[in-house]
Amino acid sequence: MLELHGVCVRYGKVDTLCDVTLCVPAGQTLAVVGESGAGKSTLIAAILGLVKLAAGQITWAGAPVHTCRPSLVMQEPRAAFNPVLPLRRSIMEPLTARAEQLSDARLAHICNRLELPIDLLDRKPGEVSIGQAQRAGILRALIAGSPLILFDEPLSALDAVTQKHTAQLIADLQDEMGFAALVVTHDLGYAAAFGDNIAVLRKGRVEEITPTHAFIQHPKSDYGEDLRQAAFALGALGYGA
Amino acid sequence: MRSVALLACAFVTLAVLGPVLAPYDPAAINIPARLSPPGGQWHLGTDALGRDTLSRLLHGARWSLGLAFGISLIGLLIGTCVGLAAALGGKALDWTLMRMTDSFLAFPELVAAVVIAGILGGGINSLILALSLTSWMRYARVARGVGLSLKSRGYVVQARLAGLSPIAIARWHYLSSLAPSLIVVWTGMFARAILGISALGFLGFGVQPPMSEWGAMLLDARVHMRAAPLQMIWPGIAVVLCVLAINLAGDALRDALAQKDIEE
Amino acid sequence: MMRGILGLLLRALVVLTGTALATFTLLWNAPGDAATTIAMARFDTLLSDVVVAQVRAELGLDAGFWPAFNSWIVPLLSGDFGNSSVTGRPVWPDLVSAISYTIPTALAGLAIGLALAIPLAILATRHPGSWSDRFAVGIASLGAAIPAYWLGLLLILLFAVKLAWLPAMGARTPAHVILPALTLGLGVAAALTRIIRSGILEARRQPFLPAFRRRGVSDRDLARAHVAPHAATPVITVLGLELAFLLEGIVMVEVIFSRPGLGSFLVTAIGARDFPKVQAVVVVTALLFVVINLAIDVIYRLIDPRTGTQDA
Repeated sequence: MLELHGVCVRYGKVDTLCDVTLCVPAGQTLAVVGESGAGKSTLIAAILGLVKLAAGQITWAGAPVHTCRPSLVMQEPRAAFNPVLPLRRSIMEPLTARAEQLSDARLAHICNRLELPIDLLDRKPGEVSIGQAQRAGILRALIAGSPLILFDEPLSALDAVTQKHTAQLIADLQDEMGFAALVVTHDLGYAAAFGDNIAVLRKGRVEEITPTHAFIQHPKSDYGEDLRQAAFALGALGYGA
Repeated sequence: MRSVALLACAFVTLAVLGPVLAPYDPAAINIPARLSPPGGQWHLGTDALGRDTLSRLLHGARWSLGLAFGISLIGLLIGTCVGLAAALGGKALDWTLMRMTDSFLAFPELVAAVVIAGILGGGINSLILALSLTSWMRYARVARGVGLSLKSRGYVVQARLAGLSPIAIARWHYLSSLAPSLIVVWTGMFARAILGISALGFLGFGVQPPMSEWGAMLLDARVHMRAAPLQMIWPGIAVVLCVLAINLAGDALRDALAQKDIEE
Repeated sequence: MMRGILGLLLRALVVLTGTALATFTLLWNAPGDAATTIAMARFDTLLSDVVVAQVRAELGLDAGFWPAFNSWIVPLLSGDFGNSSVTGRPVWPDLVSAISYTIPTALAGLAIGLALAIPLAILATRHPGSWSDRFAVGIASLGAAIPAYWLGLLLILLFAVKLAWLPAMGARTPAHVILPALTLGLGVAAALTRIIRSGILEARRQPFLPAFRRRGVSDRDLARAHVAPHAATPVITVLGLELAFLLEGIVMVEVIFSRPGLGSFLVTAIGARDFPKVQAVVVVTALLFVVINLAIDVIYRLIDPRTGTQDA
């Protein structure tokens, strides 16, 4: 279980994260929603250890979070891969770093689940579609074998049809492998469809954390209600249904 | 682009084949034929000791181009290591290395090379040392700049998260992105090295006689400016053509790479 | 702002110390026995060990590296550049007289360079890609490939030997400055033309210019108010580089034209292994460089609020 306790991150004199406390149990998904500049990306950077904490602690199963080697799926699928190297090299990096091997059967299985032809991995990022690149990004996170995967706006670069399909793939794989997922998104529809819980982030603070079904009925915070109204107005809440 | 490439190829061929193509022994002294005008037996005339100027120029190409090539590669190696170490090694190391780079840049490169080569007493070894020590700074700055901008790229972040060692990250992700910028800097430094070698030769701090180096040939010819002005023209033309060809090749390369960036 | 400028000052100080230390290390490790060389240069004959030992003690060469470094750097901080190890006379007056020859050459060279480069760059950018542009860029590329010492020799050959219009060697009359300054100026012009040209082209690409033009602002007013200041910025940036170019040129030019000045002072001192003089030139040049670059950085931060937000 991922636990954040009173986490603060400071850039200069500004608190980009302030007293953030939340948890994500194994096998569950927490969707973090909020407007641009709410501190969503900083939250991910904090969990990955890319920024220094001004206060608080982040743990996985009681140990410092880096011990579980969390993986990250990025917003820009192609930028996550070195443009001059074949995808396979980048995907295998977590394993080469630990001098581990991956059985061909396992790789074939995951590729199959992700609907990625295995020979696609020998292409360069510029030679595959955005959707394929994003699934390759998910593949990298999965074969790294970490029990915690962070998704930073994983669908926003994709077109609508691919979005829905990719979201469903992630959900199915989570059911099979049981990793904990923290998804940062501004798309409340996606959050509502696939998150077990929804956390609302605003100006670096957590406004509320609510189970999804309860959130759709009745958000606890005024800002959460604003978000819900806005999503209804756009007809976005009806995603997975 | 193609004509530039052809010109550059021609110079490389000359440098490699120079000794074979040379009609005479560049060191063969022939006092009766001293300061002969061009034409007839001596295509470009002879110098004050009656040595064939064309042969000396062709042999000299090896010094100018070969040494300049080596020196610019040494600079490339030192500079890339320093720049990448600065970009990847944390704030304190970055500050130290960049102040070191500034210290070397706090002095015109060629003047610094003159001081070093002069103090060490001339000759090829001190020439290589002097020009290498004063030619790595630009590479270091470029490598550091590109390195810092790569640090936040998605694939570098992913490699760090994967737990790849800094050296592996530098090897796989930084060098490939650095290569285009470094090659452009390298062409400029190659041309500068040719100018530097001949300048040191001209001041008497470079390649020593009897070896025929273009700058040293100019120094010899200068004394006989009135009697044989053409002897002073040839080595200069050789330097200018080489430097021009390399600079144009560098420009073309830069434009081609910029074009590629736009297309991507 | 003040913190940024203090940081720059600290940086300049570190750089100067680094340069001084590097120079001293180089001289300390110079091949051959310094005391013997200096004694030879001083008395011009082969000498007994006694005399050499005397010279060694006098110059403090028998102490270790750090004592020797200290005995050089401490008086230097109060402006004492020490005595020439060859003549025994103080270095400073000779250095000042050398600089007084170099400054007019350098300024005249810079003036010629600007006088050539600005019209050439404007000509080039009037119709980018046209024959006049190609002509200007071609001239500049050719100029950048011609080494200063060869250009100087060609000018001597033409104007002093063939035409006999101008004096070449020495510095007896004001006319003696013409050829050296021309040599420097042509080199400076070649480098500056390309920079000013791309500065102007860059400035013309500012996205708001078409909007102004549509509203009826004349091209002339636009050039004065928006293009020229923007094009000047890269020129200020390369001022430091230009200075480097000038100094490199000056060393060669003074040697070719047998002209007294900082460059020939340096080359003579190296030849005579007169290390206090070499050190003095290095320190003065580095100081000049660091101060000018510091000034450029500070001016930049005052003019352009964007610089200084990130460490360049």
